[in-house]
Amino acid sequence: MVKASKVMGTVLLTGTLLVSAACGNGNESASNQPSDSTTPAASMESSAGNVESASNEEKIKMRVITITTDENRNNIMEKFIKPNIASAFPNLEVEFEPGGGGEDMANKLKTLNSSGDMPDVFWNDAGYFTPLKSTGSILDLTSHITTDGFLGKYSVPDALKHVDGKIYSLSSGADTYFTPVIFYHKDMFEQAGVKVPTTFDELIQISKTLKSKDMVPAVTPGKDGWGPKLFMLQQMIQIGDPQAMSDLVSNKTDFNNPSVKAGVARIEQLAKEGVFPDGIANLDYGPAMEMFTSKRAAMLWMFTWELPNLAKDESVDFFPFPSASDKYDPTQNVQFWGSPLNGYAVSAKTKHPEEAVKLAEYLAMADALYFESTGAPISLNTGNEASERSPLMQKFVDWYNPIPNKIASLALNSLDARTSAEMSSQGANLLTGEYSTDKFIAAMGKIWSENTWFDN
Amino acid sequence: MNKYFSTKTSIFVFASPALLLFTVFCVYPLLPEIWMSLQKHDGFRSMGFVGLDNYRDVIASPSFWTAHKNTYLIVGISLLLGIPLSMMLALFMEVQTPKLRRFFKSAAMFPAILSVTVVSQIWLAFYEPNWGLFNSILKSIGLESWTHSWLTEKKTVMPSIGLVFLWQYIGLNAMLFYTGIKTIPKSYYEAALIDGANFVQVCLRITIPLLQNVIKYVLILSTLGSMAFYSHVRVMTAGGPGDTSRTVVYQMYYTAFDTSEFGKGTAIAVIFIVECLLISFLIQRFIARDKLEF
Repeated sequence: MVKASKVMGTVLLTGTLLVSAACGNGNESASNQPSDSTTPAASMESSAGNVESASNEEKIKMRVITITTDENRNNIMEKFIKPNIASAFPNLEVEFEPGGGGEDMANKLKTLNSSGDMPDVFWNDAGYFTPLKSTGSILDLTSHITTDGFLGKYSVPDALKHVDGKIYSLSSGADTYFTPVIFYHKDMFEQAGVKVPTTFDELIQISKTLKSKDMVPAVTPGKDGWGPKLFMLQQMIQIGDPQAMSDLVSNKTDFNNPSVKAGVARIEQLAKEGVFPDGIANLDYGPAMEMFTSKRAAMLWMFTWELPNLAKDESVDFFPFPSASDKYDPTQNVQFWGSPLNGYAVSAKTKHPEEAVKLAEYLAMADALYFESTGAPISLNTGNEASERSPLMQKFVDWYNPIPNKIASLALNSLDARTSAEMSSQGANLLTGEYSTDKFIAAMGKIWSENTWFDN
Repeated sequence: MNKYFSTKTSIFVFASPALLLFTVFCVYPLLPEIWMSLQKHDGFRSMGFVGLDNYRDVIASPSFWTAHKNTYLIVGISLLLGIPLSMMLALFMEVQTPKLRRFFKSAAMFPAILSVTVVSQIWLAFYEPNWGLFNSILKSIGLESWTHSWLTEKKTVMPSIGLVFLWQYIGLNAMLFYTGIKTIPKSYYEAALIDGANFVQVCLRITIPLLQNVIKYVLILSTLGSMAFYSHVRVMTAGGPGDTSRTVVYQMYYTAFDTSEFGKGTAIAVIFIVECLLISFLIQRFIARDKLEF
């Protein structure tokens, strides 16, 4: 019995030691050492010169989480980041983790933050910035990017500053040029014998005609209220009364404003008149895009970040949202997407802030190079000659740039987490056609009155 | 040997690892959760003790009751449709030839081993209102008026999701029943056959009563499984449109993570834990109290 116990004890002890050894991270001590790397990641080309210097060093592990739901992001990752990152950062071992998009991305980062497991670099968004800031999880980049000169590459550096005067995110500056428009297939319009509408009533009318020809008039992502929250509500209010929309964004009015109510009623009308396909309230981003690109839908209501991809099809054109009153002129008023908070950010808790900032700069530059290659306007100087724009992109720039009244996006600049989530839910409800304007206004009015965004 | 293992000390020693794990991973996490439910909390920091305010707010929310209605609808579908159908499938398998039985066993288990995401995506395609399988079939047989936007209409969304849940787990329950049937001594059936009992009588008088323990197990599994219903909803509708297809677990997730109201989210969790414990107790108390001996 004693002998058996000794044998058992020896086996257990050996096993414990083996498990402990196996679980130990041999690289940990090395990765915790401060790096003396000075990798210049300000541009893709200039960062390639450090391959030899770091080849013999232990690599620092970096975790990056970014958006992975749209084609632009995937193109940037596959064509600009992954093929070049190893040569640009020989001292880093970068692990990319898919973040998804929208509420999924927000929830993922909130969860990682609450569990103390934030990635070193991540895509920041106004929708989840507040909890990250309040817990000290997001690094103020101002001194870093001023010292290394990256800030000087921006044509409008002040556009990066949050209301507190600090810089938390690095972007290509393309966001400011994103706005929702109505893309359409010229050949489908011709086939149905309809023309580009200039008023809201005409939009309803051509939709009925398109539907009578067995075409889906218009499509947009509706699942989880994506379209209504990000642009549809804003557009439908704006085309009737741009001032009311501006006032709502800056909290000078609320959902009891008659112009706001009229905007909501327009969405209800669109849903009831069958402008969108059945099941729009559960239609995801990918399937919505596919419905348009496969020509099952004649119109796509979407932001211009999809313009470079859609411009490849010569039958695609776009027009601004048509007017619903004399107060609105599409050459005078437009919604813009940008927010200084949207872009690559660095965790304040990263063990390697210098390297993480360089990596964030590199990722922002990759964004800029991609959008530049599509002809899209950007504010981060890549050092390259501007590439030739597609006719559609040129048409967009010619229309967008001179517009004097650019209204910030409600979704990015006015909603706390709860208001944002509830607006998604209420927006999806509206798209079903089973939910009245009055119910929406009553629900949103209450939620808006409890919105804490403007308390900060 | 038996004497050695039946002492209280031995029982404690052998049970302690499981007890320790249960305490660390199940009991201990409840305490901070209960504490959080009494605070205004955004998941990162407490903004003060609010007593029972979170509970009051949660109970006053119509979405909370919509979520309850949906959850108990799924429980109802699972128990009233799922269990009888599973039992029928198990009895059907029992009377098949060995070759067919093997086929049915594999077919029954197949949906249960698939990932919820895969199953949900397949059914999303079935339910798609414009080109999906169901509406296409209905249109092709002249029943266009029966077509629906299955996952966005208030009346159809929950039954549609419930059907997916039913389809995925009906086979698993059938296998449990089938395994139970195999443990019933053959002599009982032989005696019934000699007495001239038919198939239905054998099922009602012998098989089902002697499956009491399995039925109890399946009942608890199905009830608690369907009360924790979340993943299908997450993938298929994200709880929408609006709050139409939220279940209690989804409402808890939505409140905590989407709206960053962790205090209220944990209040929902605490209420729901109490409900689950109560239901579990009722099942234990009223079903299969006596030990069965063949």
